[in-house]
Amino acid sequence: MKQFTITLLAGLGLLAAGCQKDNVTPPNSQLTGRVIFQNEPVGVRGQGNVQLELWERGERFRNKIPVLVAQDGTYSASLFDGDYKLTRLRDNGPWQNNTDSIDVKVRGNTIVDVPVQPYYVVRQTTIAKSGSNVTASGLVSQVSTGRNIEGVTLFLNTTQFVDTNNSLLGQTTLSGSALSNLSQPLNLSVAIPATAKGAVYARIGVRTQGVGELYYSPVQKITL
Amino acid sequence: MKFHFKTLTLSGALLLGLATSCQKDFLERTPPSIILDAQLWNDTGLLTGLLANYYDRLPTHTTIYSNWAEYAAYDEAMWSGNGNGPNDRFTYGSGSWGNWDYGLIRDINLALENIDTQSTSLTSAQKDQFKAEFRFLRACMYFELGKRYGGVPLVTTQLIYNFDGNVTPLQVARSKETEVYDFVASELDAIKGTLGNSGSVTRANRYIAMALKCRAMLYAASIAKYNAQSGLNISTTGGEVGIPASLANSYYQKSLDAAKEVLTGPYSLYNGNPSNKGENFYEAITRKNANPEIIWAKDFLTAKDYRHYFAYDNIARGIREDNLGSSALSPILNLVEAYEYLDGTAGTLKTQNAAGTDYIYYDNLNGPFANKDARLYGTVIYPGTTFKGQDVQLQAGVKLWNAASNSYQTIEGGLASVYGGAAFPNGDNKLLTGSSGPQANQPEVSNSGFYLRKFIDSGAGTSSRGIRSDTWWVRFRLAEILLNASEAALELGQTADALTYVNRVRERAGFPANSLTTLNLARLQNERRVELAFEDHRLWDLKRWRIAHQVWNGNSSNPDAVAYVLFPYRVVRPGSAMDGKYVFDKRVSPRYRTPRNFQLFNYYTFIGNDIRNRNPLVVRNPFE
Repeated sequence: MKQFTITLLAGLGLLAAGCQKDNVTPPNSQLTGRVIFQNEPVGVRGQGNVQLELWERGERFRNKIPVLVAQDGTYSASLFDGDYKLTRLRDNGPWQNNTDSIDVKVRGNTIVDVPVQPYYVVRQTTIAKSGSNVTASGLVSQVSTGRNIEGVTLFLNTTQFVDTNNSLLGQTTLSGSALSNLSQPLNLSVAIPATAKGAVYARIGVRTQGVGELYYSPVQKITL
Repeated sequence: MKFHFKTLTLSGALLLGLATSCQKDFLERTPPSIILDAQLWNDTGLLTGLLANYYDRLPTHTTIYSNWAEYAAYDEAMWSGNGNGPNDRFTYGSGSWGNWDYGLIRDINLALENIDTQSTSLTSAQKDQFKAEFRFLRACMYFELGKRYGGVPLVTTQLIYNFDGNVTPLQVARSKETEVYDFVASELDAIKGTLGNSGSVTRANRYIAMALKCRAMLYAASIAKYNAQSGLNISTTGGEVGIPASLANSYYQKSLDAAKEVLTGPYSLYNGNPSNKGENFYEAITRKNANPEIIWAKDFLTAKDYRHYFAYDNIARGIREDNLGSSALSPILNLVEAYEYLDGTAGTLKTQNAAGTDYIYYDNLNGPFANKDARLYGTVIYPGTTFKGQDVQLQAGVKLWNAASNSYQTIEGGLASVYGGAAFPNGDNKLLTGSSGPQANQPEVSNSGFYLRKFIDSGAGTSSRGIRSDTWWVRFRLAEILLNASEAALELGQTADALTYVNRVRERAGFPANSLTTLNLARLQNERRVELAFEDHRLWDLKRWRIAHQVWNGNSSNPDAVAYVLFPYRVVRPGSAMDGKYVFDKRVSPRYRTPRNFQLFNYYTFIGNDIRNRNPLVVRNPFE
C-alpha cells in the first residue's frame, strides 16, 4: 500500500512537473475595423471570399496574415503589438484596385477603418414583406466611372447569410434597360416560397461589369 | 596437372585479355539502347517518330482519349458513372484548364536548332519540311497556351544555362496577348508553303495550318470585340491580357481569309449517306476512310494496339458488351433542346399541352423528336432509336392512371423489368423500365434519359475492354471552318456571305436550302453548339464570346446553369385512348443540382506562384 502511494505521488509529481505553463503569451491585441466608403460600411459576400492582407516587416515574417471581411463589412484580427501594413487584395472586393498599403500601428486594441472606392453603391434600401412577396427598393448610384452596371439583385434566404454563394430561397434581378435611369429608386420583388418559416433574410446586391464581387446593402431580417 | 588457384586466375586473365584485345577500340562502341544526335537528325524515320511524339503531346481539354469526364462539367452532358465526376463542383477552380507545358516548346526549339546543326544527310528540302512541321506544332502550342493564359512568354530558341550563377538571361517576360496571336498567324503563314504532307489528315499540311490560323484569328477577334462590348474589360496594364477592340476587324478579316484558303482545298461536307441525314452526320465524324470533311484528326488503330476506352465507358447500358462500364457521360436535355426543328422553330421539346394541364401523348418513344435537326440523331441516342442495329430501350417506368385522385402515379423499376409478376400483380406484363434506363440516381446507367452517339464506335466488340475502340479524335473539320467563316463574315458586315456559309452546314443537317435568311451572333452561337458538340469547343467558345459567366452564372434558378433531364413513361390507363402511349417528364437532374458556376477569374487561368517564383518577370493574370 505504501509503495503504491509513493508511486502514485511520484506519478502525480511527474505530471505536475510535465505541465509547464505555456510561456508564449497569445496575441491579445484586437485589430478591428470596417471596410468603408463615405463612412458607411461596405457589404460584401462573407465566408472569406473578400479578404484583406496584413504584412509585418522583418525577416521572420514571410507570410501574410489573411484578414477575412465579414458580410457586414467588418473585420477583426488578433495580433501582437507591432507595426503592420494593411493591403487591399487586388481584384478581390467590389471596389477599384488600390495597391497603396495602409500603415497600422497595433498597440492594444486598435480600430482602423479601410477606405475603398466602389463603382456602384446602393443606399436608402428598404426591404419589407408585402403580402406573399418581399419587396425592396434602393437607390443605386455610380460613384466611380470606368465600368458599367450589370445588374441589381434582391436576394432572399432562410439564414442571415445572403449572397450569390448560398442556396437561396429566391432572387430577382434587374438588368439592361431596367437600369437606364438610376436617379429613381429601383423596386424589386421576390415571392416568398411556401417552405419559408418564421423569418427570412434579404439584401440587395449590385453587380458591376467585370467585377467579380457585388456591393451589398445591410442584411435585413423579415419576420413572416 | 593439378589445378591451382593461381594457375586458374592466370589463365582466366589471359583468356580475358585475348577476348578483349580482339575488339578494336572497345571503349568506343555505339550504345545499343541510346539514339545519338547524329543518328536522329539524319534519319527521316526517327524524325517522323519524334514528330509523332510531339503531335501526341499537343494539349487538349476534353477529348475522347483523355479527360473526357470533363464533358460533364459544362452544358453538354452530365455524369452518370460511379462517383460524382465533375458534377458536384461548386465552381471551376482558378487553375482549371491550365497547361504550362514549356517542356514541349523547348523540345521543339531544340529540334529546330538540331536539324540545322546536326543534319548532314538530309536534303535541304527535307530539312525545310521537317522544320516547317516543327514550327507548326510550336504555333499550335502557343495558340493553346494563349487561349488558356492570355499572353505568355514567347520562347523561340533553346534557353541554355551557362552556370555563371546568373539566371536572368533565361527569364523571358510575358508577351502581349495580341503578340501571341500575331506570332501564331505569322508562323503559319511562313510555313504553309513548305509543309508538304498534302492529303494527310494526321500530319500538318497547308490547309491544316490555315484551319488553325482561321480558328486562332477568330478567337483573337472575338476576344478583342467582346471583352470590350461585354463591359468586362479584363486586362492587365501591360497588355499581357486583353486585346484592344480596335483590332477586332483585322483579326476577323484574317480569320475569314484563312477560312477561304481552306475552302479552296480538297474538302467537302460529308454526304455519303444522304438518305439518312442522322446517320450521315454520325458518319461525318466517325467514318475514317474516304471522309472528305475531316481536315485534321488524331487517329487510333486497333491493329497497332493504339486505341481508347471511350466506347467502353460511354456506350448505352442496354447494349454494352462488357460486364462493367458504360453510360458515364449522358447528354442532357439542355443540349437536346438546342437542336431546332427542321421547320426552323425553336428546339424546345413539347411534352405538355398548351395550357400546361396535361401531357402530350405520343404513339412512339421518339415522337417528340420527329422532324428535329438530324444532327441530334447523329450526336445523341434519344428514346426510340437504335445503335449498332440494336434497340436502345429507354423508358423510365409507367404512369398508372388513378381515377380516384384523377392523376398519374409514377412507377419505376429495375433495368429491363416488367410491369407485372409478383411485384405488380395488377400489371399488364409489358415493359416497366428499359434495359438502358433511365434511372434517376443509379451509376452506369443514363441519369438524363439520353446516351452519347457521336464518337462512340459502332464496331462489334468495341465497347469491351478486350477490343476497345479506335475512333479518331477530330481536331478540325470543314463544318467548323464554314462556321468560323460565317462568324467572321457576319462580324465584318458581310451578312450574305455569312448566310451562305452557315446554310451549307445546315443543309447537310437536313434543313432545306437557304434555311436562314437573317443571321445574328446568337443564332451562330447555337449553330456551333449543336454542330460541334463534344468536339472541345463549347467552353472555349463561351470564353471568347465573354458570355460564360452569364450562361453558367451559378444560379440554381438559371435553366442554362443546371442540368435538365427527360424521362419517358408508358401510360397505363386501361380503357382509355391514352393507354399504351408515351409521356415525357422534364425536370432538373435529380442526381446533381449544383449549378455550373463560371466566375470572372475563370476567363484566364491563374499562372500560379510556382511559375512566378521561378520567373519573376511573369506578371499575374487578372484576379490572381
